Parts: sequence; structure tokens; C-alpha cells
Amino acid sequence: MKKLNIKTLLFFALLAVAFSACEKDPKDPDDPQTPDNDGEVITTLKLVFTAIDANGSDFTATFRDSDGDGGNGPDIFDTIKLASNATYSVQIILLNETASPIDTISNEVAEENYDHLFCFTPAGANVTITRTDSDGKYEVGLESKWETGAASSGTVQVVLKHQPDIKTGSCDPGETDIDVLFPTVVN
Amino acid sequence: MFRHNVLNTLFLGVGFVLFQLNVAAQSCTSSLSGRVIDEHDKSALAYATIYLKENDKSALADSLGNYIIPHLCDGKYTLVCAHIGCETITQTIEIKGSTILNLYPEHHAYELGMAEVVVTKNQDPVAPIQHISILDLDRSAGQTLGEITTRVVGLTTLNTGNNISKPVIRGLHSNRVLIINNGVRQEGQQWGNEHAPEIDPFVAGDIEVIKGANSIRYGSDAIGGVIVLNPKSLRQDTGVGGEVNVVGFSNGRQGTVSAMLEVKPAKLSGFNWRIQGTAKRGGNVKTADYFVKNTGVSEYNFSWQSRYAFKNAIGEVFYSQFNTKIGIYSGAHIGNLTDLQRAFDSPGPLDSAGFSYTIGRPSQQINHELFKASLKFFLRGRNSLHVNFARQFNTRLEYDKHKPLNDSLAALDLPALQFNITTHTAEMMWKHFYKGFLQGSAGISVMNQGNTYQGRFFIPNFKKNTAGVFVIEQFKMMPNKLVFELGLRYDFIQQQVFMYEGKILVEPAFHYQGMAGNFAVKYTPTKQLSINYTFGTAWRPPHINELFSNGLHHGAAAFEIGDSTLTPERVLSNAFTFEFQTSNWFVAVEPYYNAFQNFIYLQPQLPPRLTIRGAFPTFYYKQAPVVMRGVDIHVSRSLVAGFEWVTKASILRANNSKTKEYIVMMPADRVENKLEWKREKWKKLNDISAGLAVQTVMKQWRVPANSDFVAPPKSYNLVNMTVGCSFQLKNQKLNVNVGIQNLLNTAYRDYLNRFRYYIDNPGRNVSIALKYQF
Repeated sequence: MKKLNIKTLLFFALLAVAFSACEKDPKDPDDPQTPDNDGEVITTLKLVFTAIDANGSDFTATFRDSDGDGGNGPDIFDTIKLASNATYSVQIILLNETASPIDTISNEVAEENYDHLFCFTPAGANVTITRTDSDGKYEVGLESKWETGAASSGTVQVVLKHQPDIKTGSCDPGETDIDVLFPTVVN
Repeated sequence: MFRHNVLNTLFLGVGFVLFQLNVAAQSCTSSLSGRVIDEHDKSALAYATIYLKENDKSALADSLGNYIIPHLCDGKYTLVCAHIGCETITQTIEIKGSTILNLYPEHHAYELGMAEVVVTKNQDPVAPIQHISILDLDRSAGQTLGEITTRVVGLTTLNTGNNISKPVIRGLHSNRVLIINNGVRQEGQQWGNEHAPEIDPFVAGDIEVIKGANSIRYGSDAIGGVIVLNPKSLRQDTGVGGEVNVVGFSNGRQGTVSAMLEVKPAKLSGFNWRIQGTAKRGGNVKTADYFVKNTGVSEYNFSWQSRYAFKNAIGEVFYSQFNTKIGIYSGAHIGNLTDLQRAFDSPGPLDSAGFSYTIGRPSQQINHELFKASLKFFLRGRNSLHVNFARQFNTRLEYDKHKPLNDSLAALDLPALQFNITTHTAEMMWKHFYKGFLQGSAGISVMNQGNTYQGRFFIPNFKKNTAGVFVIEQFKMMPNKLVFELGLRYDFIQQQVFMYEGKILVEPAFHYQGMAGNFAVKYTPTKQLSINYTFGTAWRPPHINELFSNGLHHGAAAFEIGDSTLTPERVLSNAFTFEFQTSNWFVAVEPYYNAFQNFIYLQPQLPPRLTIRGAFPTFYYKQAPVVMRGVDIHVSRSLVAGFEWVTKASILRANNSKTKEYIVMMPADRVENKLEWKREKWKKLNDISAGLAVQTVMKQWRVPANSDFVAPPKSYNLVNMTVGCSFQLKNQKLNVNVGIQNLLNTAYRDYLNRFRYYIDNPGRNVSIALKYQF
């Protein structure tokens, strides 16, 4: 009888170990993941200006926060410098520079253009901006036309809205993925 | 229209209650009396508490150990006998007429044959402990641990939407509140405001709440208080038993089933075991006016426990698993401050939905596993030695609202961040008694912990080792009218962080050490009055999140930046409890004054942090001297014919003691008035009760300037209702509890709900809880 008790107890002890061994932390704390492995971030927004008349010249304005949100602030934050009374065609490029090789996120946005909308809001600066591309139903804004007027200075706000299943062509709905306020000078 | 109907129903209900009153004139005349005796030297044990769980009646033994509980109905009861320094006795008894029962607390379970003595509790400290009894647990079946603890005055919850709620003790939570689950410090990612305790409340048979600093027994961090969950005691009689709980909530169409089976085999004396499991499923929750998208929950838990009583020892093994998946309201996952303002300004939810059980993104998925083995050796006299070992695994996966844009990343469907934390704890404690006037315990405990993360950075990997020694002694003076308790503890804590700074792996290490102390005195001049004063000092090292967090909170649209130079936080807490009790009155007044040195808090600071999504307000972890003071009041008055009036109120003020600035996120003043009606027996029904409560929560206008996006929400009143009874079948018992939370379907927001920017709190919620015991 006594023996049986101990056997039963041993059985339960074994069961306990078996049950509790089913989960384990696969990683060791002293070997943390490397910084290039922390998911998808948009580090870089590039506005690639191509002059389409003789008044302006080609130019790229960049916002780059190379370590993503948090950590250090932006290391490149250009002022948009445009010629007066000029017309530009602008292409937007988004990059994740923490990934290697560098991931061009704007290609993914183009693929899912029906869920995304860029919005441009100039203030003070004499610029008129019109989106020139379409997802088939609504505009997207990866491609746009910028027409400048007289010399002036101010800002242009560039916003990317993520609008899955709720895109109406308006900037209002959805979640903000990008919101950069570029200082802008028209000379 | 609907509201009108509810009122009608309410009036009908009141009519029903009044009708019952007339028939209810007769009351029960049986009684329970006896003596509480020390088994070893047969001397009387004075001032033991004798408590009947079923009808919430209790008595205090006098200086000769005599006790009496009058006006009882015949029947089976669960008796709990607690005496300072003794093991609590839990025993099933039968009352028939004037029943006499002598009680012998403590002693070896094995020797008692029937083994009535249950090893459930540690020594009762002199400092007051508030219990949430099995009766209250039945009434709050299906709720989260946080919600259940609000039954104790002075406790509130910190919520994130509807499914995540954390207990708050007198304004303190997370890193400052310890949760002891089955004798083991619960270790997960408790630093996060949106990280709820990973515990199935159905495992608990009793919940104890200790308000105020109390670090001696369980180690550092218990600055605000301790919540202790004790499992139901194992079956004492040979045979098979169990219970099945079925709970339904109208809001979220949530259902919970929890079942437990326990066996004490006839052949293996001294051996018993139990298995238990819970499954929960809920869908989108409805506020007064609309459904809230993606607020479902799914949870399944199980546990088992087995115990063997040797000749001079008891060995126990416990294992539990907690698994949950919680939907997070998708409209609260915002890109930047403009989005937040838009969500707040909108009259309804920005992300609207109907009802659905589907849990989409964003979501949290949490697993917690606890394994515990313990041994208790009975030594000479009433001394005993306790040894226990525990291991906990905790995994937390957080999924963002959207998958990554990159197709190959999206296909992996990985969580945006993942934490794994593994904790081992071991403890040895010696309980000792000298001649009745001095008793206490001393022990050592060690902990080893390792944390890793994957995905987005919020807190780094770390290792943590702690070691502590403690001693608690109780002295009885002035024939039991005066009891002192003194406790001391020393802890050594070592933390090492492993993280990349740029491309370089850095491994900063931190060492902390400190003393904690407790002094408590209880003076019981008369049977009606008891006065208790507790002074406690406790400390905690800054947690890793306070040292190193550096990230963006999607729900709060704010950056939190840690400071690796923070020093430990310490509290000096002073708490009084005045308790006055007559046959008709119960009054408890608990004023407190807690002074903190180096209180760690988040302070907003300019300039805002510029990111590709715009500028975000930035909060830095800072330290300051802080004073928190307040009072908790509990008054109940027995009225005629089984009616009772209960008022509970709590008031709290928290300021930076230098700048006098208010401290953020403190619960607003509140009062609850409840009219309760109880009747022990009517025809075949037992324990009939009905209650109507009005809870008033004031607006929290005591907030620091410029630290929040919007003003705190306005004050609100909630009406809640409960009705309950039980049926005694042959050997089975069925409990039925019906409740209506927010009876009037009031639309409101609460200051301590982190989603108050986006959505209202839940609307009316009707619940039915059935408990079948066999």
C-alpha cells in the first residue's frame, strides 16, 4: 500500500513536469534581436521633383528618420525649394532603410493603391498641387503635379492616409501613416 | 421606450420584494456556539473569528475562546475559523437547533483523520485584510479579476476598453501592486497599463486585499498593496465532488463555462486532487448607443492540483494555464494626434460595427503558465517549515491594426511585438510559536527572471535576480486586547539589460538593495471597537520600462522615454482602521497618509518628438516626492425585515509635495449606496438576496495642467441590481445570481479608462450566473 502511494505520487510528479515543459522561451535574453529586425517602419519620404518647363530644375526633398519612430529625431529634413511660375511633376518614394536590402515601401503602396491616399496641403507657399494618378476609381497621389506662382514661403503638408475599405477620395477617414510638414520656399 | 419597460420591471421587482416581506416575518432560531481551543495545551484561544460563508454571518470569540452566532437556520454551512498565527480552518458543518462546536485551529492535517484543517492561508497579519468571500465571488462570476476587486472599498480599475482591466489600490497599480496567485508572485508584463493580470478568477476560493505598503512577506514592489488569491481548499471528505459554473452576459453576448472536479480516493488516504477548466467567449460590446468594433474576447484556462499528506508533511503540486485573445477597439489605434482629435470630436465611434464574435486586428494574445510545487513539514510544537518552488512562463503577442505593407512580411502574419518572460521563484519559510504570546515566521526567497522581445522595440531584453530575507513577529500583550506585529525584510536585486545601441550590443547592469519594514498594532478595547494602526515602508527598484522604454503608444498617441538613471522609489505609509460593530451597525473608517520618495511618474516635456507621422507629445519618466492621502469608509446599518443599507465611499488626494501639482491618473472620489435585502429561507429557496445600488463617481478635476489631450470626463451615476438565491437538492446545491449592470443604460466615460478619448463605457449588461455543486 505504501509503495503504491509513492508510485502514484511519482506518476503525478512526472505528469507535472511533462505538462509544464510544453512552453519555453525560445530566445536567450543575452542575445537580443538585431536592430534591423524590428518590423516594418517607414524611415524615409522622398519627393522627387522633375521640372517640366524651363523655369525649374530637378530636385529631391527628403525627410528621413533613419531609426524610425523614437530614438533619434530626423537626420535629414529638407526644405522644398521651388522656382516661381514653374510646373513640376512629383513622384513620392517611401523607404524602409532599417531593412537590408532597403525596402521600397512606395511599391507596396502602389500595389495597394485602393487603400491609400496622399493629401497635400500648402500654406503660405504659392503652390497648387493636383494628384495625377488613380487606383481606377479614386486618385492616389504617388504622382502629382505642382504648379508654383509668385515668390513666397510657407509649408506644404504631405499626409498619407491608410483607408482600407473606407476610401472615398476624401482625406478625412482612416489612419495617418505619414504626416510631414515641409518648409517650402518659392523663389 | 425600452427604458420605460425597465422601470416597469423594476417596480414589479420592488412589489415582489414587498410582498415577500409580509410572509417573511418568521426568522430562524437555531444557533452555533462553542469554544476555540488550542489543541496542544487545551488553553483557550481568544478572539478567533468564526465565519459562515453561506450567509456571511460572523462572530468574534471572547477572551475565553467562547463564541456564539445566533439566529441561524438549520442546514449545512461552510465554517471558516481564523485565528492570528493559526492556520485557518474551513469545515463543512451541519446546524440543527442549538449546535455546539468546539474548534481546534492549526495542527497536523494528518493527525486529524478527517483532515478538516486546510492549509490555505498564511499567518494572519495584524494589519487589516479585506476578504472577497465566495459569496461575492459567486455574484461576480464571469468578471475579470480587476472588476471583482472593486468590491473592496478603495479599489478601482484601470481599463483599456472593456476587456482589459487592472486592479488599482488607492490610486496605485501595475508595478506598485503585487498579485499573489496561489502563494506565488504573479510575474508577467505587469508594467503595462494595458496588460491585465493573467489569472482565471474561477480558481480562487477567496481573495484577500491588503491596502497599503506590505512588502515583508512577498518582496519588493508592494508599494500600493497586495492582492492574494487563494485557491478553493481541496475536498476533505472521501469521494467525488465538483462544481459547474455557467455565466451569460447580455452585453457582448458573452458566455463563460467553468467546471471543477475533485476526488479524494478512499484507498489512498492522504491523497486528493482536482482539475478545473474555464472557457469564455464574448463578442463586440455595446455602449449605451452603439457597438464597439473588435472588442471580442476568447479565453480558455485550466488547472490541476494534487496533494499528499505524509505523516509529518504535506506535499502539493499545482499547475495552471491561462490563454486569452483580446480584441482591441480598432478606432483607438491611431496614426497621430490629428487622428486622436478627430476621434475625440466625433459624436459616435469612427470605426463602427454591428455585433460580431470575430476578433480581428489589433489584438493581444497572452499565455501564462504556472507550475508550483510545495512542501510543508510539521515540526515540534506548532512550528512548521514551508518550502516552495514555482516556474512561470508568460508570452504576450500584440498585433497591430494593419499588417505590414511588404507582402513577404505580411504573409508571415507576425505580431508587431512579442514578449517572453520566464520566472523561477523559490522560497523557504519557518513558522514558529513561543508560549502563545510570541509567534512569527522567517524566511528567504530567491527569484530569477529572463525577458526577451521580438519585433518593435519597447522594452529591451533583461535578466533579473533577486534575493530576500524576512522576519515577521507578533507579540500579544494585555490579555489579547493589544497585539503588535513587527516585520523586516532585506532584498538584493540585480538587473542586467541587453540591447543594441546602433550596431553595438550594450549590457548595462544595475544593483539595488533595500530594507522594508512594517509595524502594526491592533487594540481591541471592547467587543464593539477595534483600532488598528499600520506603519509600513516599502521600496521598489525602477522597472525596466521606466529605465529603458522608448517607443510610441499607438492607443495614447504619446512617446514614453525611460531614464536609466532613476533611483529606487520608497513609500512611508501610515494607515488607520477604526472598526465599530454592534448588532445593527458596522462602521469602518480607514484614513491613510502615504509619503513617497522618488515617486516615478511620466511627465510631459517639450519639445514634441518629430516623426514621419507628425509631432507627438513626449513623456519622460521623472521622480518627485509625492503625498497621497485619503479615506475609505464603509458603513452598513441593519434595518427591519432583512433590509440593510450599505454605504461605501472613498476619497483620495495625490500631490507632488514640492510643487503641489496634482498627480495624473488618480481615481476620482466616489460613493456607492446600496439597499440590500436578505432572507435565509423561503419555501425551498435558501440565501435569498436582492440589492439595488447607485454608484456615483465624481469628475476628476484634480489633474496636472497640460498633461492630457482632453479634459477628464464628467461625473456619472450608475444603477446596478442583483438578485440571488440557492436551492438545496439532495446532495447538490444550485446557486442562481442575476445581475444588471448599468440598469439605466447610461452613456458615460470614466477617467481611468484609457479609451475614454474614443468610446463610451459599456451600456446595460444583464447577467445570469448558475453554479451547480455536487
